[in-house]
Amino acid sequence: MADPGNNTHSDQRQHVFASFYSIITLAFILLACVELGDASTVVDVYRLIQYDISGAPFGSRVASINHHAASSLFAPGSDLSRTVLVLPLRELNQTFIREYIEQGKPLGGLLLLLPQFFRSEDSQTVVGHADNSDKEKMKRLLADLEQKLIHSTIQYPVYFAFEDEDLDKVLADIKKNDAAGQPATATTGGYKLIVSSPAPKKLASPTITNIQGWLPGSKADGSSNQLPTIAIVASYDTFGAAPALSVGSDSNGGGVVALLEIARLFSILYSNPNTRGKYNILFGLTSGGPYNYNGTQKWLRSFDQRLRESIDYAICLNSLGSGDSGLWVHVSKPPENAYVKQIFEGLSKVADELSLKVGLKHKKINVSNSRVAWEHEQFSRLRVTAATLSGLSVAPELLENTGGISDNREFVSEAAVIRSVKLVAESLARHIYGQEGKNVDIFVDNSSLAVNPSYIRSWLDLLSRTPRVAPFLSKDDAFITALKKELADHVAEVNLQHDVIDGMFTFYDSAINTLQIYQVASVTFDLLLLLVLGSYLITLFSFLVITTRGLDDLISLFRRPPPRKIKVV
Amino acid sequence: MTMFHFFNCAILTFGPHAVYYSATPLSEYDTLGTSVKTAVVYLVTALVKLVCLATFLKVSESDVFDPSQELLKALIGFIDVAGLYFALTQLTHRNISQNHKFQAVGLGWAFADSVLHRLAPLWVGARGLEFTWDYILQGLEANANLMLSLSLAALGSLMWLRKNKPKTLIPIIYACAGFVATMPSITSYLRWGLGWHLPEVVGFQLFTSLTMALVSWQLFSACQKPSA
Repeated sequence: MADPGNNTHSDQRQHVFASFYSIITLAFILLACVELGDASTVVDVYRLIQYDISGAPFGSRVASINHHAASSLFAPGSDLSRTVLVLPLRELNQTFIREYIEQGKPLGGLLLLLPQFFRSEDSQTVVGHADNSDKEKMKRLLADLEQKLIHSTIQYPVYFAFEDEDLDKVLADIKKNDAAGQPATATTGGYKLIVSSPAPKKLASPTITNIQGWLPGSKADGSSNQLPTIAIVASYDTFGAAPALSVGSDSNGGGVVALLEIARLFSILYSNPNTRGKYNILFGLTSGGPYNYNGTQKWLRSFDQRLRESIDYAICLNSLGSGDSGLWVHVSKPPENAYVKQIFEGLSKVADELSLKVGLKHKKINVSNSRVAWEHEQFSRLRVTAATLSGLSVAPELLENTGGISDNREFVSEAAVIRSVKLVAESLARHIYGQEGKNVDIFVDNSSLAVNPSYIRSWLDLLSRTPRVAPFLSKDDAFITALKKELADHVAEVNLQHDVIDGMFTFYDSAINTLQIYQVASVTFDLLLLLVLGSYLITLFSFLVITTRGLDDLISLFRRPPPRKIKVV
Repeated sequence: MTMFHFFNCAILTFGPHAVYYSATPLSEYDTLGTSVKTAVVYLVTALVKLVCLATFLKVSESDVFDPSQELLKALIGFIDVAGLYFALTQLTHRNISQNHKFQAVGLGWAFADSVLHRLAPLWVGARGLEFTWDYILQGLEANANLMLSLSLAALGSLMWLRKNKPKTLIPIIYACAGFVATMPSITSYLRWGLGWHLPEVVGFQLFTSLTMALVSWQLFSACQKPSA
């Protein structure tokens, strides 16, 4: 008869043991799964943009990397579909670009190393190792490369990184190996580059945010809505090869800064009812510039009919920091038009006083063509007189001159922006206060209405540190809030308008990732080591057997045991 | 690949212990129990040493070699010797000859040392993708440690278990025992005080452990001759 008490007791003990062992196995499994980030070098890398236009794919379509590294010293004609090429910008050559980027030869991945002076943070404190002509050459090279990369479809991951000591050391090592004819593969060791990132996903409904500021003029007898309005507009977002690095200092950081400074100057004038002009001033910081000025179009469509009709004319600011080559006024109405003449003459008179060259360019709008090259065209399509003031003389193509990586603070002239501010503010003020043709200077230097160079410099520096690709800026991004606050300081009323980018463009996420560089040993090394250790242990075993038990014992280990006599019964 | 490297380093670190056990007559006399008991004694000794270090040692910010601190560490290192004494003399062993007793004790001691000090870094580090020579050097260090433990156990058994020793050899025995006991302090002095790199330190350890093993072997066999 079984004793139930004893059985349950031993059952309980067994139960305890079983759970104990299962906990131990679980602990072992967890330990085995511990992810180890023990790479010798870890670098922030910035991915090439990935986007579609009406379904056609562009940019780099893959985000993760897991291959061995090679440098530009690879043997021509070798198969690179399982290697990542580490290429400093200086070593780029045309054959490489043609074969791997345009013709789409297979490559495991591309890591482009940019010189330090392209880094947007702390641009003041980075000591320049290159002289100016070298920097100009690099800028042009990078701008060309960016254009090619943006307009190609690339099936391998492309990343940008900045040169620093660690990367330079790794690259020198890789070059040494390549030069010795030992490119890194699974069997020969070398460096392995790993970027672990999930497959890039589409950004759902990317938003564009337009910021508008309203400075009302002095009402004479009627309400201020009947006063004419002058609009000053600048688009603030950028587009470049790497969305995390597209800071667009010239396109259109200079324009944004100019707009803010003009707002500040006019707010001083308008704050005193005695000097308030008889025009309302409408300031617009629009988004969606690179995408055919989509944001401007949506902003204008959202206007009240009366407001739109009250706009006398609009001036759009674009690329003002390009230096001494003069500015162009681009219009869509023919130059003989009275309004165009008036605007241009006002600007030229002030330009002469500032010894600045200003030219007039006319480009007819083709309504059936959806391409909008200048911001003023969006106004003109809605029958509002407008002009764009820009340092560019030729209308840019789609996604050209939209502020990429090469558009860096280094290459923007503060003095040019200050001159442009003086030009626009002065001509505007003379028009508002009816002082055209008279020799009156309103915004003189060293007065309370002087253009403030440190204001311009600090905002230009801030803009040159902030990448502003619209799909990656959320509705309540800190930068948009900052712009809104700044504008609110100068004008009476600020509004934000949120909208969605035109459906023609689709964007994908994963703009910044971490690259881990491992130094790996080859399989042959491991096998060799195993061989050496095996022979060491065998030698040790034989030695110990011989010394402690004698040679006979060692030999007897290998002799077959003598066959036992089978007893036959 | 990386599990392969871990496997390689593991057999370098722990293989010799297993090989020693199976190659020598230890396996025939089934002295596993002695080794296990010694391992437990080592664990307790390590705990005691840890507590003493925590209580008496000042934590220094920099890697400066401080002689007084090192002296204190060396004194605490002698707790090791006390532990070995306890394992050799106080534990009840089955009826095994002194020859095998010291080997079993030394083996258990070295095995516990390797597991405690080297298994965790090996498990965590050698499985990663990044290749370093550290774990191979650590394995060589474990080998040197095995030889040192065996020498120390041999000298210890000579000192405390054997009653009739030739008079001339006694001071040599004590001197060698003292040298082997202070090996950890010497190693740390070389690494932090003189700034030697890890490969050089491991080389030194291998060399000294080989010489000490030979010396203690000679001493042991010399002491064995008079007794029948």
